[in-house]
Amino acid sequence: MSKVVERSQDLGPCIPQNDDDLIICRCEEITKGEIRQAVHDGMYNLTEVKRYLRTGMGLCQGQTCSRLVRSIVAKELGISPAELELTSARSPARPIEMQTYSNEVW
Amino acid sequence: MKRYELIVIGAGPAGLSAAIEAASWGMKVIVFDENVRPGGQLFKQIHKFFGSKKHKAKIRGFRIGDTLLKEAEQAGVTVQLKATVMGVFNNKEITVMMNDQIEHFKGDNILIATGASENMITFPGWTLPGVIGAGAAQTLMNLHGVKPGSKILMVGSGNVGLVVSFQLLQAGCEVVAIIDASSRIGGYGVHAAKVARTGVPYYLSHTIIQAEGEDCVTGAVIGEVDDHWQIIEGTQKKLDVDTICLAVGLSPMSQLARMAGCEMIDEAVKGGLVPLCSEYGETSIPGLFCAGDVAGIEEASSAMIQGRIAGSVAARRAGYILDQEFAQKNADFQESLAQLREGMFGAEKKGKNLSHTDEGIPLSLTLLQEGYINEAEIQRFPGFSETISSETKTKGVYPVIECTQNIPCNPCQDACQQGCISIGDRITSLPIVTDKEKCSGCGMCVSSCPGQAIFLIEENYEEDYVAISLPYEFLPLPQPGEQGLALDRSGQAVGSAEIVKVRQGKAMDETAIVTMKVRAKYAASARFYQQLEGCLSGGSTEALAMKGGELE
Repeated sequence: MSKVVERSQDLGPCIPQNDDDLIICRCEEITKGEIRQAVHDGMYNLTEVKRYLRTGMGLCQGQTCSRLVRSIVAKELGISPAELELTSARSPARPIEMQTYSNEVW
Repeated sequence: MKRYELIVIGAGPAGLSAAIEAASWGMKVIVFDENVRPGGQLFKQIHKFFGSKKHKAKIRGFRIGDTLLKEAEQAGVTVQLKATVMGVFNNKEITVMMNDQIEHFKGDNILIATGASENMITFPGWTLPGVIGAGAAQTLMNLHGVKPGSKILMVGSGNVGLVVSFQLLQAGCEVVAIIDASSRIGGYGVHAAKVARTGVPYYLSHTIIQAEGEDCVTGAVIGEVDDHWQIIEGTQKKLDVDTICLAVGLSPMSQLARMAGCEMIDEAVKGGLVPLCSEYGETSIPGLFCAGDVAGIEEASSAMIQGRIAGSVAARRAGYILDQEFAQKNADFQESLAQLREGMFGAEKKGKNLSHTDEGIPLSLTLLQEGYINEAEIQRFPGFSETISSETKTKGVYPVIECTQNIPCNPCQDACQQGCISIGDRITSLPIVTDKEKCSGCGMCVSSCPGQAIFLIEENYEEDYVAISLPYEFLPLPQPGEQGLALDRSGQAVGSAEIVKVRQGKAMDETAIVTMKVRAKYAASARFYQQLEGCLSGGSTEALAMKGGELE
């Protein structure tokens, strides 16, 4: 994990695939094609893909798709999924209404 | 800010066990769980657990859940439900969403026991209503009493896929097929066999290509894969299903451990990214523990022991247990845990293509590839060979144990009051029928076997007829006098059967023992009974004729 991906590498053009319209991140409705294109646009790690596309930022917070996104990005980069560091785990761990979040008691 | 000596996150088997252990030593413990009900996945587990007596073997999961809740209450554990832990911060401070606000707590020790989530695989149509996780199917059936669908395709032949398939059958669904991309069935052979004998087909080296339908699932297309997981052209097959269950593995929900800053490792055998833990379940942060699936995918029995270990270590850290006392206790726990990890499905041998049992007997290949043991193969196993194939023709009744893989389980040995069944000290050894003459026919072994792999055979029940007693967990129960079909291990009808006895009792815990009378020539092949009306598939004389059986 956390292997530095060579920034200057040329991945070549993003060649369309048959299943590019497959939805991967259900919460944010992001397709496989969009994720693959994002890699070719220069998003070489999961944090960049997440900030670019919002994958894993919906209701389930990546519970379902993070594994899937990781394998798609890894395949596009020609590396093993284990070499891609996951996006940071942060509080709040679950979606929460701002009203509740601001209502903090000690 | 409220302070506790131990804060447990997750009220599943691991979390509750840790809380009970710690509280029983006098610690002040609170358990947070985001769900409405405690117990984690335990209350969905309606099957009997494996293991030994001390692992609560042959007890159904939800009953273990009831016991844990009672013990937690007696020990003075506070279980706070509808309380979601939002963050784990420095100095073991956590924030919890409860009562529409964020509350802060501090723990001298924290145990993260958040379990796992189900993996998904993608294919065209995977987002259609009707494609669900196997866990979701279990929730619908076993917690809410709702049938997930009528015709089910199960994707995945691990223990989850097999156990849930059986439960779907119990709920009255038709399981159209169980498929797996692997070339071998991943779960226990006994789980596979109890599903196979109802007539469910297995397709190994097969994957799902597509879920069909506009607004919901109306069918599925599967296909065979080659060594490189590519579909072999021309092998596509359409299945008439309305529900597709995915049982393709679990991922540890280790986000809170990552958030806390625990050192993590990515290990395929543990199911993904997990915190690096000591033998006590302690992470790289002193006083912060992980137990259960979050620390590596296993099952509920080992999660409970891991919880006990973490709870007792926390109690030692707080000075409630003396070192010597702890050493003794820990040694017991570690031994118990090691037992569960033994055998051909344990961490050490998991995923390896074994060819022989520990006893040196070649494994049944049809069991691994088609879900049932064929008649030729069963004869080489000790639960079988000592009985039917022995030369002395016996009168009276004796057990036949079709348990052919080394799994950590031994209730049959304890169940037999006559001492006919022996497993020995090594819990993974294959059971042996040591002295069939002593068998009283009580049937306790039949109902105690969590794998439903024990049968009683009474030769010379009547002239040219034998009586076969089998475990039966379907409703409605057959009635004595009823005529039906005797099915073989693959679910094919072999001949007609007449029910002569149906036994139920408290000790059998809902596993009825159904005794059917069949032709003597089927003694070694008939292993299931199918009712003619409302039966599992097809039925009637026609079905029997189609299946090549003969009606007497």
